[in-house]
Amino acid sequence: MTPSLDRLSQRNRFALLALTPILLLFILVIAFPPDGSERAQWAQFIGRFHPIAVHLPIAFILLVPVLELAGRNSRFVYLRPSADFVLGLATVSAILAASLGWCLARSGAYSGPLMTQHMWSGVWLATMCLLCWVLRGRLTGGEFVYSIALALTVGLMTWTGYRGGQLSQGEDHLTEFMPGALRKLLMMSAETRIVSPPSTATFYGARIHPIFEQHCFTCHSANKHKSNLRLDSYASLMRGGKHGMVIKPGNIQSSELFRRITLPATDDDYMPKENKKPLSAAEVKLIELWIAADASATLPLEAIKDAPSPTTAAAEVTFEKVDFAAVAKERAGLAPAVAQLQKRFPNLLDYESRASADLMFNASLLGEKFEDADLASLAPVADHIVIADFSRTAITDHSAAAIAAMKRLRSLRLVHTKITDATVHSLSRLDQLESLNIFGTRTTPAVLPIVAGLPKLRHLYAGETTIRADAPLPAALKDKVLF
Amino acid sequence: MPDSETRPNKQDQQQPAETHQDVRRAVLEAETRRHFLRTLSGGLGTLFMGTLAAKYAPPAFAAVPSSEAALDFTRDASNPLSVLPPQFAAKARRVIYLHMAGAPSQLELFEHKPELTRLDGQDCPASFLAGKRFAFINGVPKLLGSQYPFHQTGQSGQWISDRLPHLEKHIDDLCIIKSMRTDQFNHAPAQLLVHTGNARLGYASFGSWVLYGLGTENQNLPGFIVLLSGGKTPDGGKQLWGSGFLPSVYQGVQCRSHGEPVLYLENPPSVSRPLRRSMLDVIDEINKQTYAEFGNPETVTRIAQYELAFRMQMEATDAMDIRKEPESVRARYASKPGEASFANNCLVARRLAERGVRFIQLYHWGWDSHGSAASEALNIGFVKRCSEVDQPIAALLDDLKQRGLLEDTLLVWGGEFGRTSMRENRGGQQMKFVGRDHNPGAFTLWLAGAGIKPGITHGETDDMGYEIVKDPVEVRDLHATMLYLLGFDHHKLNYRFQGLQQKLTSVKPARIVGEILA
Repeated sequence: MTPSLDRLSQRNRFALLALTPILLLFILVIAFPPDGSERAQWAQFIGRFHPIAVHLPIAFILLVPVLELAGRNSRFVYLRPSADFVLGLATVSAILAASLGWCLARSGAYSGPLMTQHMWSGVWLATMCLLCWVLRGRLTGGEFVYSIALALTVGLMTWTGYRGGQLSQGEDHLTEFMPGALRKLLMMSAETRIVSPPSTATFYGARIHPIFEQHCFTCHSANKHKSNLRLDSYASLMRGGKHGMVIKPGNIQSSELFRRITLPATDDDYMPKENKKPLSAAEVKLIELWIAADASATLPLEAIKDAPSPTTAAAEVTFEKVDFAAVAKERAGLAPAVAQLQKRFPNLLDYESRASADLMFNASLLGEKFEDADLASLAPVADHIVIADFSRTAITDHSAAAIAAMKRLRSLRLVHTKITDATVHSLSRLDQLESLNIFGTRTTPAVLPIVAGLPKLRHLYAGETTIRADAPLPAALKDKVLF
Repeated sequence: MPDSETRPNKQDQQQPAETHQDVRRAVLEAETRRHFLRTLSGGLGTLFMGTLAAKYAPPAFAAVPSSEAALDFTRDASNPLSVLPPQFAAKARRVIYLHMAGAPSQLELFEHKPELTRLDGQDCPASFLAGKRFAFINGVPKLLGSQYPFHQTGQSGQWISDRLPHLEKHIDDLCIIKSMRTDQFNHAPAQLLVHTGNARLGYASFGSWVLYGLGTENQNLPGFIVLLSGGKTPDGGKQLWGSGFLPSVYQGVQCRSHGEPVLYLENPPSVSRPLRRSMLDVIDEINKQTYAEFGNPETVTRIAQYELAFRMQMEATDAMDIRKEPESVRARYASKPGEASFANNCLVARRLAERGVRFIQLYHWGWDSHGSAASEALNIGFVKRCSEVDQPIAALLDDLKQRGLLEDTLLVWGGEFGRTSMRENRGGQQMKFVGRDHNPGAFTLWLAGAGIKPGITHGETDDMGYEIVKDPVEVRDLHATMLYLLGFDHHKLNYRFQGLQQKLTSVKPARIVGEILA
């Protein structure tokens, strides 16, 4: 069957020549499969050209059916012979691209089922190209077989390209931003990005996933996946990012993720970046233990005994976002009254904060100049006052009702005033009061039961009154009275 | 601070200005209708692009990142100290800051290190010295154990030495941070860092920031008062209470600790209060004209200071007069009216807190216990320093607590850095007195009052008390935490100067120490 070399047509010589690297490719892929471990710089350097080189066979292969079909038209009949040449180019470039792909994969940048599929389809694509070329040379009667093979090749190329795209840009790279209407039309689920949270019965779900959620999701999840790395699901975590796997089960040293979080904070590679809060020592320890235990998704929570408890996380202070429009709306009703009172008591009445419509009033600086009548003038804003200081003013029990009208008071100071038990008695309805200061007044132990009835009270300042430090206190006031 | 804006001298510029104008006119005249139409279309396009670009520019290109956007601190020009509400509901409404200038030794007060005591007198390990800079230590110094016995006390069981027997009774009110850290090992820059957030001159002090952010309720007293305890002015100088780039109306007002608190407050003989008033009215009128003409905020400061001084004539003298306190109270503070002492200042601090002063800064001095002289020896001068502050601080805590003021007053005690675990050996030789050198790597500071978790210790140093091993707190972290208690996100309390949204915590990231908040 095999003709001797000199009798071979030029065409068959090319076929044989192309078959050699394809066979070599098969041997490489079978004998030296990429296993995810890092390798030589050269392989990596050359491999990086794979994403560029792949576009050559894609273009060439797509061109072939165009040339073939257009050539059927009598006006473009001259195109048909070119198809042969282009198909040859496609074969050569497919072999080249597949070889580069193997280099890239072998150098340790990628691994996993997605990569394996892409690799094999790439190798088969090169083979198919060669097959098409051979078939085309024997067109006598084989035109049907050739067109089937060509169609298959284009199909395989599409599939290979799609898988490759998924590898480098994420699994949903084509559909991620598909508009909702189109989604519906194609009967896809309305939101493909939903990642169900992992089970909290597993160590991964209960201890590891929450760490990523807290520290990493802003840059590495559905909305943003820097370096093509997503940490919002176990699968995407193990798939890694554009620089390959980030977790090597059982191997802490070569797990890129672990290296990054344990670098000095000043290192360019340090994660989390941009002044985001670093992982605590306990969190780093958890990830270390988990990787050491083969980074399994199913490992039960109790499997790792000496894991640090979650309570060791530091107390982080955050600021609420203030809705200033809502605050302004809330203030609108009382603003005129506040403005008028501010004119009367400059610098003594103001909002508790820029984020609220609650008021603070400090009359203590006016001293004796502040009398019952002045206090009465606060009536229009009484139920907005939460902190009030009437210390050292001239107010008397006549103001009791006006003070009691400040229903939302949290803190009330009556230091060195002429008030007596009567005023304190009228305060029994102040269910928000946390701090009551009657230091230096003529109040007596008779007020204690009233004060004991205040549900939120935390401190009663009763120094220099007739209440003695050794007086018997109601149980509700235990540890709350200061003398 | 310059007294007036620098303005170009008109006379000098007269000649060039004229030729300059000629050139400009020539340029304008050369412009034709065609030039105008040509640039018009391009100009309009550029304007349009400008609006587009502003909309789509990444945040980094925007003039002020949104997270740093300033809150509105504009006030009526005639009343620069008027009260503004804090950003958020605040735990603390005023601060009393007790600074022990010179840096007290944490190893003689709060840091119990039995291992160091065991190794007392041995050569310091080389690892302690590698890459370190010291003010005075030379060669290989000896380790120095604590000079005083320690014991646990209070319900919180915190360790304290026998040098602070009065303060010890309040141990359950204190939150002791043993892991304070600074990057300055000389007094002046370290003090500047503690008080202005920056080791260089020209930055606004903590009190100035607070006054700028919140104003002050009592317009008859300065909102930021500084009291020294005799002795010497801190090495950092008056910049420690300066306003830096903030308008100088927000700077601290240093009051004298004995005699008249503020000099020349009294009217001179034959000048009555009404006469003084009418004089001030005329001066104000002139100053207001100046402000209308030049718009320099320093003019407003000048007007405000005249007015403040006039009102202070009545109130400051009263507030500072501790003779108005009963003898029993003065005895608790160990205060003696008439002398310049920390004890008197503590009592004044309480009186000022009651009168709504926003920021009260007390300095004590002489804590630089190198051991180079008796006054700086851990076994002589240091003992005296301790006894000078111990009883007054305890009395201040007593009073604040009893009167309910501790609820919304933040009290801070600390120095500018710590002291070494090694005995100082100036010139490489054993010195006559016992002392320690500067250690910026770890120092102890305590807080009490508004919003602070009482009776806890935060952070930890190694067995030698030399380096922090747990929860380091940078000075900027402390500042961020204190501003948080005062109702501010430290990023938002800012002031645009030299192209930067200047803030107390400066440019490095600061962390609010959530662990010490109640």
